Amino acid sequence: MDMLDDLVTLLPELILATLVLVIITADLFISRADKWILTPITVAGLVLAGVACFVVWDVNEVVYSGFYVVDDLSVFIKGATIVTGILSALFAPSYLLVRRIPLGEFSMILMSALLGMCVLASSSDMITLFLGLELMTMPSYLLAGLHKTDRYSNEGGLKYFLLGSFASAILLFGVAWMYGLTGTTSVAGIAAAVDGQMSAGILVAMGFLTVGAAFKIAAVPFHYWTPDAYQGAPTPITGFLSVGPKIGAFALLIRVFAEALAPLRADWLAVFLVLTVLTMTVGNVVALIQVNVKRMLAYSSIAHTGYIMAGLAAYANAGDAEVAAQGIESMLFYLLGYAVMNIAAFAVVGMLQRDTSRFGGLNSFAGLATRAPWRAAAMVLLMLSLTGIPPTVGFFAKLYVLLAAVEAGLAWLAVIIVLNAALAAFYYLRVIVYMYMRDPEPEPAPLDSSPFGSAALVLSVVGVVVLGLFPGAVLEIIRTSAASLF
Amino acid sequence: MNGVPVLSLIVFTPLAGALLLMLVPDTNHRAIRWIALATALTSFALSLLLLGYDPAEPEFQFREDLPWIEAFGMRYTMGIDGLSAVLVILTTLLSAVAILYSWEPIRIKVKAYYATMLLLMVGMLGVFVSLDLFLFYVFWEISLFPMYFVIGIWGGPRRIYATVKFVIYTMVGSLLMLVAILAVVIAYAASGNPVTFSYEALRGFAYTDTLQTFAFVAFFLAFAIKVPMWPLHTWLPDAHVEAPTAGSIILAGVLLKLGGYGFLRYNLPLLPDAAVTFAPIIIGLALVAILYGALVAMVQPDMKKLVAYSSVSHMGFVMLGAFVFNEQGLQGAIFQMISHGITTGALFLLVGVIYEQTHDREIAHMGGLNARMPGFAAMFGLFTFASIGLPGLSGFVGEFLVILGAFRYHPLVAAAAMLVVIASAVYMLWMLQRAFFAVPSDWMRRWWPTLRDMNRTEWIALSPLVVLVVVLGVYPGPLLEMIAAPVDRIIEAVRGAGMTSLGPLW
Repeated sequence: MDMLDDLVTLLPELILATLVLVIITADLFISRADKWILTPITVAGLVLAGVACFVVWDVNEVVYSGFYVVDDLSVFIKGATIVTGILSALFAPSYLLVRRIPLGEFSMILMSALLGMCVLASSSDMITLFLGLELMTMPSYLLAGLHKTDRYSNEGGLKYFLLGSFASAILLFGVAWMYGLTGTTSVAGIAAAVDGQMSAGILVAMGFLTVGAAFKIAAVPFHYWTPDAYQGAPTPITGFLSVGPKIGAFALLIRVFAEALAPLRADWLAVFLVLTVLTMTVGNVVALIQVNVKRMLAYSSIAHTGYIMAGLAAYANAGDAEVAAQGIESMLFYLLGYAVMNIAAFAVVGMLQRDTSRFGGLNSFAGLATRAPWRAAAMVLLMLSLTGIPPTVGFFAKLYVLLAAVEAGLAWLAVIIVLNAALAAFYYLRVIVYMYMRDPEPEPAPLDSSPFGSAALVLSVVGVVVLGLFPGAVLEIIRTSAASLF
Repeated sequence: MNGVPVLSLIVFTPLAGALLLMLVPDTNHRAIRWIALATALTSFALSLLLLGYDPAEPEFQFREDLPWIEAFGMRYTMGIDGLSAVLVILTTLLSAVAILYSWEPIRIKVKAYYATMLLLMVGMLGVFVSLDLFLFYVFWEISLFPMYFVIGIWGGPRRIYATVKFVIYTMVGSLLMLVAILAVVIAYAASGNPVTFSYEALRGFAYTDTLQTFAFVAFFLAFAIKVPMWPLHTWLPDAHVEAPTAGSIILAGVLLKLGGYGFLRYNLPLLPDAAVTFAPIIIGLALVAILYGALVAMVQPDMKKLVAYSSVSHMGFVMLGAFVFNEQGLQGAIFQMISHGITTGALFLLVGVIYEQTHDREIAHMGGLNARMPGFAAMFGLFTFASIGLPGLSGFVGEFLVILGAFRYHPLVAAAAMLVVIASAVYMLWMLQRAFFAVPSDWMRRWWPTLRDMNRTEWIALSPLVVLVVVLGVYPGPLLEMIAAPVDRIIEAVRGAGMTSLGPLW
């Protein structure tokens, strides 16, 4: 009976796992011309999993002998994961089908990655954590290289795989050290064991964990795999890769650094501050000179990683629990907002690549406003949101991080963030310049206008504006989620 | 006070108009223009209700207050005092003028143009009526991007360079201001108060000197870039030269006022100690701006650039008046803002009249226009004199009051500012003489047969400005009365202020 109760707390994960099997099976029976049917199936399953998140909301239990925790924090991250999944599942099909990339495989792999993210979010033990991480990243490598006949996709996938495995190994090594020093792999156990116990050994372990985690979130200087992997992957998948694994990796960061190593936060803070500043600045400066929109968005996603890390820094520097919670909350809100806007931005780039020989250069945006006014308008909103201009979610997310930073006594960091945001404005606005202030190319690429993609774009844009203007309800949820850490 | 949310109606009527435009087919230019004009006029008519503001009552009026994002104490709070009221009316009026003027010059992407202009109105009006710092910031940013599009899409040959420069400049300032807003809010909350972005709550609080210094500098940068203040003015000439005429009218007429308004509404009452401590520096910068703008204007070959640099000089007067902290200076500063909005808006409109016909603004290319375009020449003359500050026209009142205030601060400051009145006569009259009375250039003779005087649309667009420039010049009383109470409040706030820890720097 007890076992059965535990099982209910896994409802979202169970649904995702079932979905993987359903998709594989269904794929066998659907003829090539009707593959699009997989998309509604996937989305319906994801919606179901999203509903399941409400079932496990407010459960707050540690299950399976301490290996798995279903707290509100994990449920929120699962919710964000599922939002990411729904948008990706809607955006990808038309891009994939025109390139003859099998949709069934994509959907199945995507679901596995989502499952990994959910496991990662709920791990209360380093073993589960690593399991979740691998379950998330292995499918991600596959997704990056999914376009088998494209050498950029091959290269990106391979780089992602090699460097990712390397990072996983380093992280695992850190976990091993930690186990050797504390005799436990449980998150709570480590937290109790390291409290006030700073030693050279712990420092080494912390170093390995930091490097491994920094690789996973693509923090500078551990970001080199990002641009190639992002550029090579099929565009809508890039949207997912820039967001999904990032949500997972930040969940890992929260579990490891804000939970297991929370007592030592004064010790890891300095390293994170350096990483934060480096990440956002390098990301933005390099993004400035990109002419390929995919690469530009890839570097900009590094910069956004920096902004999110600032939330963690605010957490670590906070004087009291309330301010510390605000740091975590700002990360959660930023992750959700960033997920919505970035997936959609990549999707618009993808829509311009209907002709398979096009690479998403800035030129393909030239004169988009006259060719496709609504999509151009949507892209304007997304770019403004990524820049952080009201009334969009990107603005509120940045505001939240700034608020957390200033309140935690890191006003200088807030200033660096806003200077970076102004720098970023330059390249985001360049897309708008191309769309509205230049004439189209002589032979512009045809545009993709699949109903799924358009629907998802409308959803995202509405999300971007509504979350920006009326974030109240989501803020309540996030507050409750972050509270489960304290 | 009364049940009707007048301010919301004024601010969001243009938004409704912009949404309505989406339903009109792209090609129906006639309907688009009429809807846009009707919207702007509705907003203008509504804003006239603000004349019912009671000058005797020192608190904000026409208040609206609704909860918004309660987790952080952000509220939808609006209200006006005399200062906001006059600027709101100026905004709605100039927007209507700009929209009317655009009737013929704007021929491409007409629907997008008018929708953008209406959105611009929303942002600008929102800034003037917000009493919540978060709401204010949202509107502040919203006012930025429509202008970015107006310059970037409908502007001249170097429009992209100009518009990107404009946006990046402004964004750096406003983002730093955002950090300062948060710092102020957090400092207020840290002393046991509930978290709030309410202007009325935050302005009475005694912030520490460090915070005031930091926040003042951040606010200062945001507003000084907008004003623009020397040496942060370099975006302005580019933006003006490339902007379409209507864009210039709004840019000079209203957008620059956002900066001046910001100083008077936020820098002074919110951070009085820092304001008093830094005042000498700012007065120095203002004097440099006044002189520099005038001197550079003298050598401009391009009419629009000349007017743009004269704006730098005139807005310097606003800054000077704001930071001498006495009644005359502050009243003069506000009056000068209104007057500058009217005269410079009109001058840009007039430059547009000739530019639409010859597609050229070189002063050297003109000459003898008086013979072909007498009505145009008369109007240009009128606003030239208003700009110089001829008694009887609105420009005089503002400059006179500012110089009076400056004299009470220090006679030498007044003397320096006074010199510039002569300089402004030089560049404005010289332009007038070369363009209208000199012998026509060969270049201009080619246009001779097709040159026409102002047409009906242009006359209608200009006429309210003509009336105002004369009425305000002859009878400034009612306007001064409207702004008396806000001026008193500012003086009250800065009286006895000054930072203790920095000591007397000077």
